[in-house]
Amino acid sequence: MSERSQQAQQPVLQLQQLTRVHGSGATEVHALRGIDLDVFPGELVAVMGPSGSGKSTLLTIAGGLDSPTSGRVIVENTDITSGDRKVLSALRRRSIGYVFQDYNLIPALTAAENVALPRELDGVSARKARVEALAALEEMELGHLADRFPDEMSGGQQQRIAIARALVGDRRLVLADEPTGALDSETGESVLALLRARCDAGAAGVLVTHEPRFAAWADRVVFLRDGAVVDQTVRSDADSLLTGQAGQR
Amino acid sequence: MTNWFHSWRAAVRIARRDAWRFKGRSFLVLAMIALPILGVSAADLTLRSSELSTQEKLERSLGAADARLSDPELGGAAILQSPDAENYAPAKDYENAPWPSGGTDVSKAVPAGGTTLVDSSGGAKLRTAHGLLQTEIRELKAADPMARGIMTLQQGHFPKKSDEVAATTAFLEASGLKVGQTLTARGFDRTYRIVGAYELPSDLKNSQVNALPGAFLAPYGKALEAAGLQSQGVSTTYLLKIDGGFTWNMVVETNKKGVLVASAAVQLNPPADADVPLFQKEGWNNYELSAGAQAAALAAIGTVVGLAMLEICLLAGPAFAVGARRSRRQLGLVGANGGDRRHIRAIVLAGGLVIGVAAAVIGTVLGIVLTFALQPVLEDSMGKRFGSFDVRPLELLGIALLAVLTGLLAAIVPAITASRQTVLASLTGRRGVRRSSRVLPVVGLVAVATGAAIALYGSVVSDQFVIVAAGSALAELGVVALTPALVGLFGRLGRWMPLSPRLALRDAVRNRGRTAPAVAAVLAAVAGTVAVATYAASRDAQDRATYRAELPYGAVSVMIDEDGGRDVPAVREAVQRHFPVDLRADVDRIAVGKANCSSMYSGEKGCGRYEIVVPKANVCPLWASTTDGSDPSERFTKEQRRDLAKDWRCASSNEGGAYIEGGLLIADAKLLKILGINDSAAEKALADGKIVSFDKRQLDKAGKIGIKLITDTEAADRASEKGLEAPGETKTFGTYLMPDGTKSYGLSGVISPATAKEAGLRAVPYGAFYSTDQMPSSEQRQKLDAEIARIGSAANLHLEEGFVSKNSIVLLALTVFAGLITIGAAGIATGLAQADAEADLKTLAAVGAPPRVRRTLSGFQCGVVAAMGVVLGSAAGVLPAVGLRLTEERQELKFYQQALDGGWGGVNPPHVPIVVPWETLAALLVAVPLGAALLAALVTRSRGALARRAAT
Repeated sequence: MSERSQQAQQPVLQLQQLTRVHGSGATEVHALRGIDLDVFPGELVAVMGPSGSGKSTLLTIAGGLDSPTSGRVIVENTDITSGDRKVLSALRRRSIGYVFQDYNLIPALTAAENVALPRELDGVSARKARVEALAALEEMELGHLADRFPDEMSGGQQQRIAIARALVGDRRLVLADEPTGALDSETGESVLALLRARCDAGAAGVLVTHEPRFAAWADRVVFLRDGAVVDQTVRSDADSLLTGQAGQR
Repeated sequence: MTNWFHSWRAAVRIARRDAWRFKGRSFLVLAMIALPILGVSAADLTLRSSELSTQEKLERSLGAADARLSDPELGGAAILQSPDAENYAPAKDYENAPWPSGGTDVSKAVPAGGTTLVDSSGGAKLRTAHGLLQTEIRELKAADPMARGIMTLQQGHFPKKSDEVAATTAFLEASGLKVGQTLTARGFDRTYRIVGAYELPSDLKNSQVNALPGAFLAPYGKALEAAGLQSQGVSTTYLLKIDGGFTWNMVVETNKKGVLVASAAVQLNPPADADVPLFQKEGWNNYELSAGAQAAALAAIGTVVGLAMLEICLLAGPAFAVGARRSRRQLGLVGANGGDRRHIRAIVLAGGLVIGVAAAVIGTVLGIVLTFALQPVLEDSMGKRFGSFDVRPLELLGIALLAVLTGLLAAIVPAITASRQTVLASLTGRRGVRRSSRVLPVVGLVAVATGAAIALYGSVVSDQFVIVAAGSALAELGVVALTPALVGLFGRLGRWMPLSPRLALRDAVRNRGRTAPAVAAVLAAVAGTVAVATYAASRDAQDRATYRAELPYGAVSVMIDEDGGRDVPAVREAVQRHFPVDLRADVDRIAVGKANCSSMYSGEKGCGRYEIVVPKANVCPLWASTTDGSDPSERFTKEQRRDLAKDWRCASSNEGGAYIEGGLLIADAKLLKILGINDSAAEKALADGKIVSFDKRQLDKAGKIGIKLITDTEAADRASEKGLEAPGETKTFGTYLMPDGTKSYGLSGVISPATAKEAGLRAVPYGAFYSTDQMPSSEQRQKLDAEIARIGSAANLHLEEGFVSKNSIVLLALTVFAGLITIGAAGIATGLAQADAEADLKTLAAVGAPPRVRRTLSGFQCGVVAAMGVVLGSAAGVLPAVGLRLTEERQELKFYQQALDGGWGGVNPPHVPIVVPWETLAALLVAVPLGAALLAALVTRSRGALARRAAT
């Protein structure tokens, strides 16, 4: 996606001066220190960094699962830092999709039902939600998995279904926390290819990973260390990222 | 488009599939809820099916007839009756005078145009494969269309000739006879062939033989009379068919002729109470259960159902909590996908709904199927055929709804707990420590205090045990609410314990949310058991203290008063043969009039009675008969009556004993020995022709006893109504009075056979007394019972075994029940703890703990829950029982004071002991927790699967 069209659009996710402090006094830990980040439609942003750098905390706060100590999180023009629990839940149903490292799917539901779940929770009738879910699965060429239960699918298939669920209905923001962490590299590539394709189709994505190989699929890579952004790079720098030099000051 | 219904559908789908995925846990909860539902719905079906409609009842009693006319034995005097013919009274008022008696000719009351069918009943001693059996003989032409429905033919046909009979299946079973065999009666030379088997649909257990009218009873009675025996009474009724039915007006008309009518038309359409003359009479109003009594019964049923539901919820709740805990990640995912608290609650609640609905369907269907399949067994055990298989959908639906409600209620607390977890904590598996509720202990404390105050008021001030029970129930619920707080107190014991129990206790206390319901379930079951056990043990102690032996320990008595003692010698020998007899004393009774009379008070023709004359000076003034029929005690003040109650003349014998007609026995000195009396002076007096007396009041001033022989009993009855002396010849005997305090065992005196003969008293064999070397075994008793049945005599046999508690089986059953609940609840809590502790156990294993730690830990976890429950439950259970006993003591004290005021002699001050059932308590306090712990340790694998730790 070109920079021109990005500027013409509003960001789907905006993080402004985000800080998060765990504990207090002697046990005080600064997980995030004044993070600023905008993610636009059609853009896939990779967040990298060593263990404990604050990658996962960034993602949970961005999705409203945790609240920041200070700063603002704006999703689709809605400030979610001041929202109450119900507003946050509704936002997760309608705007934000999550993909975790593993165990993403509800074991008691089939692939189609898993994808339909956010819509059904939103009060859409089961029939309509299923039609939407099947459409989403077909669009991603996963239609043949619709009626399988999670324990009848491979890890890669499960992650792709999870991506489908993250983007069902009007949702435009997918937050993926090491979605390839439990997969072999070949399967991991196919999952990322799907994520990339969804972003190219207009979604905004944030991908937490510590594998430079997977970060190469992103439009932009944000590098975190000790809770602060130490570098940002665009896709053209991907090659230097792969060699690990772009992150150096 | 959006509405809550769609999100609930998703929740139900997840819950349904989860219930299927975890079949073991689902089955456990399902069984807990479905079993009571099965029982209640089966009970409802059985009750409703066995309740007959009026139409069905009429068919079984009247057949196809319109009415049954019978003789109320009021001498033909006009009567008033209730529409159902259950109650009747003479139309005239007789006040204190006796009602007229004697039969009337019912056939004269048959209205013109009516056709009748005679239905007579009498008794006969029939010869069976095993001996003799006293059986009802019913003369009814059963094949007549009018009788259709009264008897159901099972095999063969109803009698067509006078030498044919049919018999009920119950009779054939008891007698060992079969259709096709011949039947004879004792003392009757005719033989009958059994040509059919039938049953009485409302009285399956009745031994009855059916013959044609006139074929059996009349010739049998003649044969008995020819042999000098009393014939057995025959009652005759008439079934009647008449065009237009038997109306209430016709009933009232027939009543005027002294005949009672059961009419089909009247019972199907009963007249208004105002049109029933009997109901206008004082004291004969149509009685119906009062609204208050119905409300009380409903309240009692409601309480029992409520407590049962609470117990099931307490047991099933932790199972739902385990489910919610295990699927925490799943609930977290729902949260991450936009599920808010109400969605999470809906999923866990839907778990309760799914199991509740499944339990309702399975319980109800099994209830219906089992009742249907076991219908013949149920009918046999109730002794009654069902009218129809009566399924009441609304009632069954109500019962089934209870299951759904129970499932939902059990899932409420786990649902709320699960919904309060943050999505992040659910996803990462972090166990946030939750503070327990602060409101619950306060509510519990208030309930305990209020309940205790009510129970205390009930036991100290009032004598209403309902108040005590209500207060106790409230206090018990309060203790259940206090359980989380009380569990916390137990935690303080931890620091003095070795590793495994310390870990178990700390874990239980830290996770009160799952420990408390299990402890509360144990508490409630144990408290109930201990309350009943304490009450029963106290009652037992009271019964033991007030038990009155009929004979010295191990002694035997056998007495027969029918047929002039014909079977007595055979029975005497039978006892001697089967029991380890040491001494035997044959006893005779004094007969007045004919020799073959049975009881002195039977009123048979030609049979008289005797009385021991009590001199006027020895009669208690409170009981002395008056000429005007007034109550003599009313002439005295309360104080005078209290004094008189202590007078020797008014003392009533307060020790128990065998029932001996007239109180006097003809026997030799061996009888005294058997009764434990070793008094050589008494033996000598008996040999010298004196009566040995146990009652000072019978002696006149000269120290003699008079025995009055009354031959004309009717004249004697008339005299006594007027307060006059009965006419009769009095024979006087010298007397030896037994010293005060000698146990008489119901005997007022003994006279030797020689003395009786000399005085011209007629002695009739009555029975015998025996002393035994050792207590006869159960086998010996059964053999003797069989032999006496063979002889066919109505012998009254008593073996004195001392006080035998009837409660022990009940107590044992209750203990086992409480034990099972305890083990079940503790097991569920342990399963929950294990699910939680998996990570800790892996850490323990990693730091080098031996594999058995896993076993011992789960054992102690189970034991800790069981122990806390039984300790709290025992304390909570003893108190209401003590309260109940205190109320009872107050009640008995009140009764005692009334007795003293009324001048009733021989009333002892009440003895209401409170006994703690230590055996039951010991079993519950020690054996049950130990057993639960061992069981949990045994079923736990010592090596857990090396699963990957959950991703965080």
